[in-house]
Amino acid sequence: MEQLELLMGGFASALTPINLLWVLIGALLGTAVGVLPGLGSAMAVALLLPVTFSLEPTAAFIMFAGIYFGGLFGDSTSGILLNTPGHSSAIASTFEGHRMAKSGQAAKALVTCAIGAFIGGLIATTLVVFFAPTLVKMATVFGPAEYFALAVFAFLAISAVVSESVIRGIAALGIGLALALVGIDGPSGTARFTVGMPQLFDGISVIVITVGLLALGEVFHIASRIHRDPVATRIETKGRARLNLSDFKKALPAWLRGTAFGAPFGLIPAGGAEVPTFLAYGTEKQLAKRRDDPEFGTTGSIRGLAAPEAAANATAGTAMGALLALGLPTSATAAIMLAAFQQYGMQPGPLLFERSGNLVWALLASLFIGLVILVMINIPFASVWAKLLSIPKHYLYAGITVFSMLGVYAVSSAVLDLWLLIAIGLIGFLMRRYNIPLAPVLIAVILGPMAETELRRALAVSEGDLGILVDSPITVTLYLVLAAALALSAVQHLRHRASRKV
Amino acid sequence: MSLTQNQPEAVPVVKPQEKARPRFGTGRSEFVVVAVLYAVAIFLTIGTATMHVQGKSSPGPQFFPIIVCIVLYLVATLLAIQILRSPKVPDNAIHPGRGQFSPDMLHDLGHLGKEGDEVCDDEAAQAPAKTWKTYSDWRTVGMLFAGVVAFVALLEPLGWIISATMLFWTVAYALGSRRRFFDIGVGLLFSSIIQLAFGAGLGLSLPSGLIGGIL
Repeated sequence: MEQLELLMGGFASALTPINLLWVLIGALLGTAVGVLPGLGSAMAVALLLPVTFSLEPTAAFIMFAGIYFGGLFGDSTSGILLNTPGHSSAIASTFEGHRMAKSGQAAKALVTCAIGAFIGGLIATTLVVFFAPTLVKMATVFGPAEYFALAVFAFLAISAVVSESVIRGIAALGIGLALALVGIDGPSGTARFTVGMPQLFDGISVIVITVGLLALGEVFHIASRIHRDPVATRIETKGRARLNLSDFKKALPAWLRGTAFGAPFGLIPAGGAEVPTFLAYGTEKQLAKRRDDPEFGTTGSIRGLAAPEAAANATAGTAMGALLALGLPTSATAAIMLAAFQQYGMQPGPLLFERSGNLVWALLASLFIGLVILVMINIPFASVWAKLLSIPKHYLYAGITVFSMLGVYAVSSAVLDLWLLIAIGLIGFLMRRYNIPLAPVLIAVILGPMAETELRRALAVSEGDLGILVDSPITVTLYLVLAAALALSAVQHLRHRASRKV
Repeated sequence: MSLTQNQPEAVPVVKPQEKARPRFGTGRSEFVVVAVLYAVAIFLTIGTATMHVQGKSSPGPQFFPIIVCIVLYLVATLLAIQILRSPKVPDNAIHPGRGQFSPDMLHDLGHLGKEGDEVCDDEAAQAPAKTWKTYSDWRTVGMLFAGVVAFVALLEPLGWIISATMLFWTVAYALGSRRRFFDIGVGLLFSSIIQLAFGAGLGLSLPSGLIGGIL
């Protein structure tokens, strides 16, 4: 068990007092952005990236580990208490969670969430520790054609397979690829789309794009609706924040089932935890029907809340494995983590374990530590966290606006970046207004350069013969699976269109 | 079809008298997105055509931009056709992940069924208090936009503390805060803490501007 030894080494470097402090800060920040609706771990990491440049990478990543899981610990709070899920990963937990809150079990619901998130994350991170070396071994046989196929797979899976509208998903992908093209082309040294401005030779910073789309775009969107949308009423956290043995007996199998749904989805670029959380909820619903559970759909079933909550964090856990071992981001948050590695001059993928092994194992160890700290600050203080929901919105968003300006200015002290930030913020606003997904833009910005380089490399080797792209069993399998998923999703769209016309 | 229980009532975007005879523009404001997509595509086309290519690698630096251009033109045209064929009036339904996920797919995966939707409706049955001419509140968005533009223009001349306080105040005011004098204090406190924590603590260089000149 070589991994255990390495992991222990990771714990040794993560368990210093100063690093524990970073995990704690990360966990606090992560829970806070999770509780507050509309923010998320992706935005928190993007905003903190530039201001943490002066830290050494290990400390920064240890903090990001806390934020990464923390965002999923708090995300159900607003759904349970206000019945307005702040994040789409929490929609499935809202159904039964809010019913529990209405029947006076709000505190119990919040505890169920925290334990569910802990169990899901714990099992998934353990899986990553044991299977990461296998993934790395798999990835070492990947050549340019395979990496290109992987990128195409991620692009189309995230923009077309699961999205509400295929056209809008691909449009988002196109915008992202276009943004990534700006700057000096690595292989040839040609300046592309820089309109003669030397400041653009390095390309548009990923931080500007992410903060613009996720933070400023969100503020614009909130501004466009804040005086119009009705205000949700909050349920006070009543009931005892404790699970008794019979609750625990009910919830434990559901937590495990949820984890089983969530873990595989971390490896698939399906945009995050939404699909597995709904799968987990649907399964609990079917099971409840079979055993005639009177709570489900009325006073709120603890099982219907426990399963999606565990699924969400299990997905995040294995997504970290796919990111570290393959360099494949499977959700928007993972994409930002990848950008964070690149900012520190590291490229996730098979080589990362060799070159920065210490950092990787410290990061994995701090994921475990982060989970423990998160469960410790979430179970006793769940109702304290819920108080964050009463921060006046105008101060919250004013603070976010100022902080995003700070973050972007900190990248290179350039006012040009701030103008770009405003322009990209407006694009983010437009995309929210017309329900064009944001995740494809982020994935395209981050994987676009890799896709281009690998495609050109493959074609240079084959001297322009496109056959090389489908020349190995791995690429053929990837394209076939992608085609099957696209076909399934097309059938799904057409079936619903037909049933709506009737 | 709804995914959450508490759905705000859909706010009609057109005035009642206009409802009877919808104009061409109704529900077709998404043409803005088509325009943006075409603009990006045309910018890329011009940039690719006039590129000073270095080196002789094949495929060269123009290869990938051409593919992206084709995708953009195609998708913009398809989107335009879709908007022409079925205009969309904004609804207040939840779009999971803002369009990232198909609600139909999640509905099926979660076995939500009809009975789930019925529960949803009893709570959302409040009539909209007021109707507006446009879906978006352009006055608030405009104030916010003016605030960020002014901040970026004034950051270097005025320095971080003053311009960040102004930005904080403008955003808070636009989003509905009515404690004008109190907010100046909150903004000042917030921007000063940032200057201290990140400027002095983590070593970011923030423009000092006017105050720096006085000190």
